[in-house]
Amino acid sequence: MHPDLDPARDLSRLLRALPGECAAPYGFAEFEQRAHERACRARDSRGGARLAVAVALGACALGLLVRFGGPLPAQPPAAEGAPLALRSAPGPEDEDLPPGAGERWLASLPSEPVIVRVGTRAAVIDLQDRIAQLDDLLGGARVGPAERATLQQERSRLLGTLVQVRYAETLADGPP
Amino acid sequence: MSRLAEIAVPRELLTRACAGENAARQALYAALAPATLTLIRRLVGQRALSEDLFQDAMMIFYERLPQFREEAPLGAWLRQIAVSRCLMYLRSPWKRARLCLEPIDSGVTAEVAALVTPGYRAEHIDVERALASLAPTARAVVWMYEVEGYSHQEIAHAFGRSVSFSKSQLARAHARLRTLLEPQEHPPSCTLI
Repeated sequence: MHPDLDPARDLSRLLRALPGECAAPYGFAEFEQRAHERACRARDSRGGARLAVAVALGACALGLLVRFGGPLPAQPPAAEGAPLALRSAPGPEDEDLPPGAGERWLASLPSEPVIVRVGTRAAVIDLQDRIAQLDDLLGGARVGPAERATLQQERSRLLGTLVQVRYAETLADGPP
Repeated sequence: MSRLAEIAVPRELLTRACAGENAARQALYAALAPATLTLIRRLVGQRALSEDLFQDAMMIFYERLPQFREEAPLGAWLRQIAVSRCLMYLRSPWKRARLCLEPIDSGVTAEVAALVTPGYRAEHIDVERALASLAPTARAVVWMYEVEGYSHQEIAHAFGRSVSFSKSQLARAHARLRTLLEPQEHPPSCTLI
């Protein structure tokens, strides 16, 4: 095709004919002033970004501290004879617990009463140790008659408890 | 009035500007700024946005001036920076959509330019208006290909797209420009009062 008949070429010529400099920019002084303002803004935004990062890190640290590093909740006084599992669980009345702990404690409670079998070995050994200590004291030469009577009473009580524990063991081991 | 890519400056001026001499920096600005702003306005259209991108480009230009190795005219080097800034803006889908929604003022600018620029002819206003009616990406592609002399490969690389993207954008832009610039069969009548 002849170049003069090619419409794309004609278009190209029209576009190239547009002047290369027709937009007058602002002066050099204003350019420098704007550059200075931008530099200041960039510095401020860097400072702001640093502050935002510090605040975010602080919030994360606080969250972790509350979740994992907080003071241990006070153990509620367990009722005498209550199962061991319930004695160690935190109660909903603890004020220092994180939010939601009360709900979790309630959810952990069994829906019906549960019988928990606890081993008696530790209790038997403890009783036997105490009785042995009392025997040592009673065998000493410097025990007065009043003290001896008290020690004898205590030894009788501990022996009674030991007998009860042994009896419970026998019942638990026997046929249902 | 020369294109930005053709502007060269004396080596002595460049050396002084690199050394931080304010008068030399000012002389470089006077030599390069009008063509740079014109190029950016042709690529993005809007005045406020063009001035923002122009400011960016010139700041980068002065910052990197000591790295200029004189392998091409200084204007060509600055053109690379300016085009790169414009395309970075146009590549963002969010900003491109914003640019499409906001009014383009190139038509009005062309009329003002016709008054203040020596050698500006009446038909230039029509071409400027037709160019302004194109989508930002199509306008950038047609300008880079037709006027700045970029190849399809270079345009595709600059936009991070395929060569066929550049070709199809150019073909559609041509079709639209031809429609807008062809003489009307029924020119608008004028009534003298």
